[in-house]
Amino acid sequence: MRNVAKRSFAALILAGILLLGLLSFLVLYFVKGAAWAVFPGSPHVYTGGNLDSGVITDRSGVVLLDSTDGRSYAQDPALRKATLHLLGDREGYIAAPLLGKYADELVGYSPISGTYSLSGQNSTAKLTISAEAQAAALEQLAGRSGSVGVYNYKTGEILCAASSPTYDPDNVPDIAGDTTGAYDGVYVNRFFNASFVPGSIFKLVTAAAALENLPNLEERIFQCDGSFNVEGDDVNCNNVHGTVDLQTALAKSCNVVFGELALELGPDTLTQYAEKLGVTERFSVDGFKTQAGFFDLTDAPTVDIAWAGIGQYTDLINPCGYLRLMGVIAGGGEAAEPYLMEQVDAKKLTASYHASPRRTGRLLEKSTCQTLTAMMRNNVVSTYGTASFPDLAVCAKSGTAEVGGGLLPHATFAGFIADADYPLAFIVVVENAGSGSEVCASIAGTVLQHCVDVLDDEQFG
Amino acid sequence: MDYLFDALEGMDFTLLYGAVLRYIFPILAVIVLGRCAKSLLTFRREAEIWAWLRLPTGDRLPVTHWESLIGRGKNCDISVDYPTVSRTHAVLTRYDDGSWSIGDVGSKGGVEVGRRPVPFCAVSYGDVISLGGVDLHLLPVTEEEQSRQTSNRTRPGRNIKPSVTLFYLTLFQLLTALQLLLVVDPEEVSQVIISFGGLAVLEWALFWSMRAFRRTGYEVETIAFFLTTLGLAVIASSAPSELIKQLISAFMGLAAYLCIGWSLRDLERAKRVRYLASALGIGLLLLNLAFGSEQYGAKNWIYIGGVSFQPSEVVKLCFIFAGASTLDRLMAKRNLLLFIAYSGIICACLALMNDFGTALIFFTAFLVIAYLRSGDFATLALICAGTGFAGILALRFRPYVLRRFAAWGHIWEDPLGTGFQQTRSLMCLASGGLFGLGAGQGWLKYVAAADTDLVFAMVAEEWGLLIAVITVLAIVCLCVFVVRSAPVGRSSFYTIGACAAATILLVQTLLNVFGTIDFVPLTGVTFPFISNGGSSMISSWGLLAFLKAADTRQNASFAIRLPGRHQTEEATT
Repeated sequence: MRNVAKRSFAALILAGILLLGLLSFLVLYFVKGAAWAVFPGSPHVYTGGNLDSGVITDRSGVVLLDSTDGRSYAQDPALRKATLHLLGDREGYIAAPLLGKYADELVGYSPISGTYSLSGQNSTAKLTISAEAQAAALEQLAGRSGSVGVYNYKTGEILCAASSPTYDPDNVPDIAGDTTGAYDGVYVNRFFNASFVPGSIFKLVTAAAALENLPNLEERIFQCDGSFNVEGDDVNCNNVHGTVDLQTALAKSCNVVFGELALELGPDTLTQYAEKLGVTERFSVDGFKTQAGFFDLTDAPTVDIAWAGIGQYTDLINPCGYLRLMGVIAGGGEAAEPYLMEQVDAKKLTASYHASPRRTGRLLEKSTCQTLTAMMRNNVVSTYGTASFPDLAVCAKSGTAEVGGGLLPHATFAGFIADADYPLAFIVVVENAGSGSEVCASIAGTVLQHCVDVLDDEQFG
Repeated sequence: MDYLFDALEGMDFTLLYGAVLRYIFPILAVIVLGRCAKSLLTFRREAEIWAWLRLPTGDRLPVTHWESLIGRGKNCDISVDYPTVSRTHAVLTRYDDGSWSIGDVGSKGGVEVGRRPVPFCAVSYGDVISLGGVDLHLLPVTEEEQSRQTSNRTRPGRNIKPSVTLFYLTLFQLLTALQLLLVVDPEEVSQVIISFGGLAVLEWALFWSMRAFRRTGYEVETIAFFLTTLGLAVIASSAPSELIKQLISAFMGLAAYLCIGWSLRDLERAKRVRYLASALGIGLLLLNLAFGSEQYGAKNWIYIGGVSFQPSEVVKLCFIFAGASTLDRLMAKRNLLLFIAYSGIICACLALMNDFGTALIFFTAFLVIAYLRSGDFATLALICAGTGFAGILALRFRPYVLRRFAAWGHIWEDPLGTGFQQTRSLMCLASGGLFGLGAGQGWLKYVAAADTDLVFAMVAEEWGLLIAVITVLAIVCLCVFVVRSAPVGRSSFYTIGACAAATILLVQTLLNVFGTIDFVPLTGVTFPFISNGGSSMISSWGLLAFLKAADTRQNASFAIRLPGRHQTEEATT
């Protein structure tokens, strides 16, 4: 009997396995429970394909989405169209990674009480977006494909992240049957998930690299004869600029000067700056994974190194990534990382969220940025004109990006306001629209003015 | 305060009731299980003395089991340290009628009773038993010693009153029923009232009838009733029309529990039942193979006159009967070989039925029984290796099982296909949090097998992870109790039976819970007492009887006959 009693401990081994497994499951529950509870399709928080994400407003409290009972978008059709790419559609053609990222807060999940809610009240979330600016941006794009982004480079708040074309989710057009091309790529969020040929706005990267790597650059005088020859191939300029200094070259967007600078810097330094400044980086903005830009001079012919330095060749930028770069220049070499979700109030003691801004860290020397700022301001004053932004200290660089195929070039325009009260960086990309500043300056001016008004309202009531 | 009033405004009673109760339920559950566990796991292990053995020196050694191994070895129940006594020399056995026998278990010196060498012989009090020339006298326990022992041994329920525990459980049931009444359809109200009311009547009736038999141990039954309550609550949410069926199953389970307990009460009777049960086990499985019908890929159901029935559940009980054995028989190798063959046939039948979950339960129970009987690791390792090899071969020919294995660990990669059940389980389990969404408020019930194979997740969803964990702890508690009781067991038949029953309960729980949470492949095994299903309920209660037959605490169990009945009556009055 004593032996049998001793051997009965074998049963305890099983009990031990069961307890150990249960314990590890409990640990797993606290680590992964939130992800399980809000996994797409989770029955208690999803209705059809959509997360029951509570009420989502813009920075001023304008309701953009109310999913208390089904999905109701903003009341204003223009606003519905303007925010569709941030909030996603009902059918799941346009994802809503922003809502996915904060799903556990939006549904009020906590490991203690699960998704249970006594009050039945939904969470309310506040985005950094300004509905006003967002709608204005879409109106300014006027049906053309493209994107407009504005963000506060001191705090990181994205005030505008518009993407066109778009449509009204409450009045879905016949997209599959469309033959006009008006809805080409309509499901793509062009601010976060697209990349474009930058054109001359890329000269800012070349300029930054040159300022930090070539001595006495600002005192140098360059000669532009309308083109220059690299190993038998011509790099053409938009004009014959004669003798120019760096500032004038940037203001005139002289291809000869920046082509030569690119060759002087060499492929390694250029690539190093493109990478350092985040052009080729894929980063995450509250759930949105940005489309990485492209800059690769491996095995590039010498002439293409020159073209790459002026934003052609195989260069690609992502609007959000380049917007952040504008912020870095405006911020004197570093800026806040852009974000979209200001706060989630889960109407519970737990499970709420407040944005805590992160910074890029120093990417450029302060003096480099001061020089670039002065030159970009000069661009506006001497070339683009201040008519589009009469009261704002806008610094900018335009681009007219050749895309080939007999299509009109992309118009690009990027910059910032050099004003501590309105620390806003911006980018405008309009596909196949023609000349950069002509197309984009007024768009940027209008949207920026809306953003400034919003900031004014917030600061001064 | 304003916030509170705002929150309360416009809220209906159902919500408020649920809001308060979700914290009360875990507390009650902890109290119920805590009281049972404390009683089961902290009792003083006091041996029962059945006789004395007087050594040549005049020292008296107590005989504390019905089967005692006598020998020179340290592991013998009665250690007689003389050089001529073999390490394991003889087995002294007591029978229900109070008679004794001694059997030689391969000693060198031989056994003599009354100076005649015998391999096996009845012994009377006063006889001289000579082991290798060492004379031992078997002496009776006097009536005075007997009554002193009876009154000195601690009775369960003296410190922790089982009636109070049962009261808490009844409160739990009452509150549960009320909550369910608020959420179920009007036509199901009567079913809820009948089933919960019926269960309460059942548990108190059993309690009082046990009292009438002067049996005060009720922890094991309370745990079973607690789990059954949760089972009813889950069914009220998932399939209210099956509530009455489940109550009837519980009633039948109770009947099985009493029958098996009664048959175990008398060891001679139990040994006779043993052959019958072994034959019944094989017979049922063969019947199943011949007439069974397939459900969810496993052919383990029989339909008779509109009633479905899972024979393999009953076979579990037969299997324990077949596996349990008294000490004198344990010493013969032939018996283990027979049992190995028997287990092989059972597992082969189950594999043919595609019921790999149940096959695994039997295999684990087999391992535990075989180890208890032989203590022989080498043989068991060999058997494990062989079975593992056969298992792999079997898998190759069973695409259905293979599919389940393929989904295992990859459920999130195919959440709408092969991983559907487990991903929904985890989603709902997490949504429930620690305190649950409330009885009847779950969603998992819409998934196939939610109230059987996935019941752990369903309990967690509606009742909270805390209570789900408590259900597992309850099963573990039963197992630890069995192991704790083993050293004061009367016969190895009971100890092996109880260990095997506890093992089966544990393995079922393990496969059910771990399958639901994707720790192991989902094999479709029921959670004892909780899962919806009549056969499972009956077999769970049947297994409980084996536990009860090993509960040797004074006046604890109806399945244990009181020693010296007349004296005890005098002692208690």
